[in-house]
Amino acid sequence: MNEMAMPEGVIGGGWTYVIAGYAITAIVLAAYAWILRRRLRRTENAEDER
Amino acid sequence: MRVLGQIATLVRKDLLLEWRGRTRGLSVVLFGIVTLLLFSFAVGPDSAALRAGAAGFLVLALLLSSTLALSEGFRLEHENHALEGLLLAPVEPMALYYGKALSNTLFLILLAPILTPVAVILYAVDAGPATLVQVIGLWALAAAGLSAPGTLFAAMTSRLRSQDVLLPLLLFPLVVPVLLGSVKAIALVLGGDPMGQLSSWTVLLGAFDVIYWTLSGVLFTHVVEEGV
Amino acid sequence: MKRLRWDAIIGLVGLLMLLVGSYIGLFAAPPERHMGEVQRLMYVHVPTAWISMLVLTAAFGFAIASMWTGRPKWDAVMTGATETGVVLGALLTVQGMIWAKPTWGVWWDWDVRLTTTLIMVLFFTGVLVLRSYVAEPERRATWSAVAVIVGYVDVPLVYFCVRWFRSLHQVQSSPETVASTMITPLRINAFAMLFLAIWFVARRSRLELARLRRESVALPPRRAPRGTAVPEAPQEG
Repeated sequence: MNEMAMPEGVIGGGWTYVIAGYAITAIVLAAYAWILRRRLRRTENAEDER
Repeated sequence: MRVLGQIATLVRKDLLLEWRGRTRGLSVVLFGIVTLLLFSFAVGPDSAALRAGAAGFLVLALLLSSTLALSEGFRLEHENHALEGLLLAPVEPMALYYGKALSNTLFLILLAPILTPVAVILYAVDAGPATLVQVIGLWALAAAGLSAPGTLFAAMTSRLRSQDVLLPLLLFPLVVPVLLGSVKAIALVLGGDPMGQLSSWTVLLGAFDVIYWTLSGVLFTHVVEEGV
Repeated sequence: MKRLRWDAIIGLVGLLMLLVGSYIGLFAAPPERHMGEVQRLMYVHVPTAWISMLVLTAAFGFAIASMWTGRPKWDAVMTGATETGVVLGALLTVQGMIWAKPTWGVWWDWDVRLTTTLIMVLFFTGVLVLRSYVAEPERRATWSAVAVIVGYVDVPLVYFCVRWFRSLHQVQSSPETVASTMITPLRINAFAMLFLAIWFVARRSRLELARLRRESVALPPRRAPRGTAVPEAPQEG
């Protein structure tokens, strides 16, 4: 795989960080989608009332 | 040629105003000195640490003073609608920008002969006259780099109530290259430059200046078209 | 039933691809020899990096278009791209920190790309704040386009100065060689992020256009008298 092998061994205990990284990604994307939806709905409702 | 004449007139006007309202300039100078003093309190009376950070403190004092100077510059123009008068005169928008940016730069450069000796004394830096001249030269490059986008942003934010927050919010991230470049270059001048890195930092500062003095001048025309 | 809009389809495809790509990245791809399991972060981190940069580049293009034509449409798309770029950039910074901790032992290492991203996120957030303070639509469009252009030009300068600043300390290598089994999930996720980003930009632009329409109804067409630039009411709920 990696030809330029570094002397240290494998970094252990990585799963915690991997889960944290994927969770943060999911949360941020979902939160932004949700916020956009709310803002859009509010603005378009206000438009309809006019 | 006409534009150059207009720029010269505008700079003369700004400097004259600056001279007549000396207290304003004086308060910026005092602000800079107080900042330098506060940095030494924040680090503590550890003279080695102070000397190591001297360049950074000096540039930060310049940066913080610059926001005061920049926002004041356009605030004056809005009193009595002076800016509209200038545009109706008619002064070219580009001349207006370069005049303003130039007088901001000059004002910030004038801080150097006062703040640099104060920093040298407070932080116990070994610096002869030749070193000081070099520092002031780099200071001038940094001042030009701060003024170019700073004048543009000051024009945009000058009529907003929250200018004091908005101007640093836009300016500080943008001028990171100026900050890093001048801090590193001044540190190398003060502490010696064994690896000959001074020139590359100076080139970086110069590049920033050239890019932003050109770009901001072009963009400013559009900014005032919408009415500042 | 409402008919599905094109952006909704793209968003759904993006979501599905992200799920598939992440599944392959998490469970099917082999762990890297030296980074171990931590390397699986790459399948979300690298796509986020690519797409956030791409979205900000698009914002720069839209800003030029907005200044050139003066059309509200471009202003709205520029806002969408800027905000999406800020969101993805912030996400990128956090992902980078999570990756830095196990590999370099610290959360923040003044890595060139991470530091540049953080500075850009701060600047473009400032642009969005500026927008929210300018009440007059044409002025807001010009000023934010100017700010986006000025900020985008700064990216290479920031990158180089942070790199030089760093090189005085130590050179940090990052895993760039990628085996072929790792390419598939990376590609899938890159396209997934791209589609999601397009969806975000489209939604945010629609929101901005709706707001602009509302303003043009609410405000008299004549420019407000000088000296009355009042900030808008806070919009976030």
